[in-house]
Amino acid sequence: MLQEKISRRTFLKATALAAGALSVGAVGTFSFETWKKAEAEKKDDIRVIPTLCTGCGNFCGLNVYVKNGRVWRAVGLPQHPKSKGKICARGHGLLATPYLRQRLTQPLKRTEDGNFQPISWEQAFREIGEKLQEIRKKYGPGVIAHISYAGQKTAVWYGQRLLWALGSPNTFTHAASCYAGRGVGFEHTVGGTPGTDIANARYMVYIGRNLAEGITPGDVLELAKAREKGAQIVLVDPRVNNMYQMATKWVPIRPGTDLAFVLALAHVLIKEGLYDAAFVQEYGYGFEQFAQAVEKYTPQWAEEITGVPAATIQEVARGLGKNKPRAFIHPGWHGATGTQYANSVDAARAIALVNALLGNYQKEGGLIFGKTPPLGNLNPAKYPAPEKPAIPRVDSEWPLAHDVVTAVPDKIRDGALKAIIVNRSNPVMHYNNPLYAREAYKLLELLVVVDIFMSETAELAHYVLPEVSYLERDDLVEGVGGKKPIVAMRQQAIGKIHPETKASWEIYTGIAEAAGVGKYFNFTLDEVNQAMLAPTGLSLNELKAKGTIVLNSPIVLGTPKFNTPTGKVEFYSTEFKAAGLDPIPNWKPPLVMPDVSKGEFRLINGRQAYHSHTNTTRNPYLLVLTEDYHGDRLWINRRVAERMGLKEGDWVEVRSEVATGRVQVHLTEAIHPEAVFIYAPYGSLAKNNPGRNFAFSFMTLLPYHKLDPAAGIALTQEVIVTLRKI
Amino acid sequence: MARYGMLIDLTKCAGCMACTVSCQFQNELPPEVHFIKFYQQEYGTFPDVSLVNIPVQCQHCENPPCVYNCPTGASYIAEGGVVLIDESKCIGCKYCMTSCPYNARVLNEETHTPMKCIFCFDHIQEGEQPMCVQTCLGGARVFGDLDDPESELNKQINEKKARPLRPDLGTKPKIFYVW
Ligand code: SF4
Ligand code: SF4
Repeated sequence: MLQEKISRRTFLKATALAAGALSVGAVGTFSFETWKKAEAEKKDDIRVIPTLCTGCGNFCGLNVYVKNGRVWRAVGLPQHPKSKGKICARGHGLLATPYLRQRLTQPLKRTEDGNFQPISWEQAFREIGEKLQEIRKKYGPGVIAHISYAGQKTAVWYGQRLLWALGSPNTFTHAASCYAGRGVGFEHTVGGTPGTDIANARYMVYIGRNLAEGITPGDVLELAKAREKGAQIVLVDPRVNNMYQMATKWVPIRPGTDLAFVLALAHVLIKEGLYDAAFVQEYGYGFEQFAQAVEKYTPQWAEEITGVPAATIQEVARGLGKNKPRAFIHPGWHGATGTQYANSVDAARAIALVNALLGNYQKEGGLIFGKTPPLGNLNPAKYPAPEKPAIPRVDSEWPLAHDVVTAVPDKIRDGALKAIIVNRSNPVMHYNNPLYAREAYKLLELLVVVDIFMSETAELAHYVLPEVSYLERDDLVEGVGGKKPIVAMRQQAIGKIHPETKASWEIYTGIAEAAGVGKYFNFTLDEVNQAMLAPTGLSLNELKAKGTIVLNSPIVLGTPKFNTPTGKVEFYSTEFKAAGLDPIPNWKPPLVMPDVSKGEFRLINGRQAYHSHTNTTRNPYLLVLTEDYHGDRLWINRRVAERMGLKEGDWVEVRSEVATGRVQVHLTEAIHPEAVFIYAPYGSLAKNNPGRNFAFSFMTLLPYHKLDPAAGIALTQEVIVTLRKI
Repeated sequence: MARYGMLIDLTKCAGCMACTVSCQFQNELPPEVHFIKFYQQEYGTFPDVSLVNIPVQCQHCENPPCVYNCPTGASYIAEGGVVLIDESKCIGCKYCMTSCPYNARVLNEETHTPMKCIFCFDHIQEGEQPMCVQTCLGGARVFGDLDDPESELNKQINEKKARPLRPDLGTKPKIFYVW
């Protein structure tokens, strides 16, 4: 018999769809005949609206089915390259978002005693506008900043326009805690981050990249196809992740040492003549210096550091070499190459270079730089456009990075930032040491948060402005580059649930008018969208009808173009050299290392298939999965745990140099003995987040590091912890 | 008349639970009621470990103990061999729940009657695929007619040598797994 796993908690029932949205058992308990009769009598009004998900950065295309005015279900759009007809558990679960009880319903102002008082939009706009003008007069415009989620185009576009209009260049995204290491590493090596032609690859290596949990649905589908055609799929990860079932090999690695593994792959490829010499000759810059540098990085040398047997390293290198160019190392995302270690940027560079050794750029089954769709802009003659401010950004000490949101708490403490507008981002919670961040954000003279929930950041704000949810609004047209570029847009599927909520674009326009820069916002969202679409020849109505449209201009494979200063693959990076950094990705150890003999572990983290960020832990459909499957437990190697006297489900206190957390343990053989692992989104500190009661947030245990000099990344796995049974 | 069945290829399953949640919305279930549950198995010791996630739902058995044990006939085999529950005949005795060896039934706490996967019965009649099949990220799920030798379902069952879970229980499930 299989084990019963369902459990119920009343708070979930209470938080679920208070307005009685999705009632119990419309189908499933009736006979078909009864059901059909009932349905026929009801004459449901069902409408299908193509739009975009907002569950993570993919923004998959989906058809939302609205039954009698309420969201019912969704199906992925086949023509959207991220969804390819599929959407993930998060995408489905988030359909409940408009109806969640914890939504913000009206503008709020924080009073002296720290409570919030509802105010009108007029008052909110007027007071925020006045305060912005006052701060600008007092300190100059450079003390104002904007923080948003990178993919949320409406917030990024409008936020930047507002800041530029006010005279400040300081716009930030969440990149420095997500993919910035990979971005900076690839950009300064091969000129950008390419996509992966998974379906046509024969040998793929995923290092700290996990498609089954850090999901892009279309990639999972491609992976399954490749596997069916016999592709080899190698996972290099300190733990067995959910991709395991679709993979052919797991290579457990000591966390933080991926760079050594990749350098040794380069060593073998060069030493054994398995690399594409013609490609390197034609497209490489500084190959000789690189080849000389990796001579010392033998598989034996890497075995010492990584714990991966030299023979395995040789096997993987040969697998890649023999299958080239239909072989690649995935560029990664948030994992080994993203923002986790002091050597992550170099790991990204090394991976970009091993791919160059395989000659796989712009080849079938390799890495492919997509084509960006042509999008237009508003005509400046009719709609005055603010100039890019000439004053330097507050984070200009990172010349190679785009923006370093992780530096914001220190910039506030230094007095360089005085006012911040945050839209759909939660910077107090999402970067190292939230308590350190919280104290800093409290020093601001003005903090405005636009959100649909009361986040940790919103709790500190002077003004909280309630946005409509993604199913209740139109957004800006998105262009997604790829083998076949597309245009797509999020559009309103249902009417407003809470009358006193507004779309972001209305909020920015309101603030701009009150701050005296309204002349830069003399248009509607539809007008911007029409201007953006103009070069594609598509009309806004066409796009609204289809949701996602594939442009008829696929890329031609064959000859890659590298957008670097030398126009080549920079085995020797001219830009790193100019920035005073090592031009070659030589081995550098991570910032900290656990002393196993003292019972220390490295605390590692990762994505979970059914959650994205702290935000999704407000969703009852997703949170119940956490509960039923113990998704918030800390993974620990079974034998290590048993030596410590721990059993499955025991509570432990986890201590780092800055804080402690409480969590139940999950004993497993599927993790490196030197690491403990926790999924990322738990331990919210926000008062009204149901996810607050689950485990701890690894961010709270992370020291506020001196940031890496190349990308300013958060170093989210540079933390040592000890465990104590409680 | 078709004889509906399904194949789940675990080598294409990401263990992502998109099927579970899409099914909830399709069937308008509350958050805590799942028709598709997951069972995780771990084998071996570090560093030679393997993990498998197995999605399990009503197997639409040809020999269904839930139907045989239902005293009122509320649980029945409908067209196409799909096992359904007629709520109007259900007295809430839960015999069917306890007799299902796959633990496929869950209780509707409001009506106190059992519920479970119905292969999206109403929608497959209109030519749609069941929701879990439509949304499966890896394309691990294939739905079709077991009586049609030409069907993709039968093709894959034969090619991949798919078998049901616990055939020894003798219930003749119509969901076949590849692993
Ligand atoms: S991957 Fe999932 S959460 Fe992300 S956009 Fe797609 S459906 Fe939504
Ligand atoms: S949707 Fe498909 S891939 Fe995801 S868990 Fe379900 S069966 Fe597996």
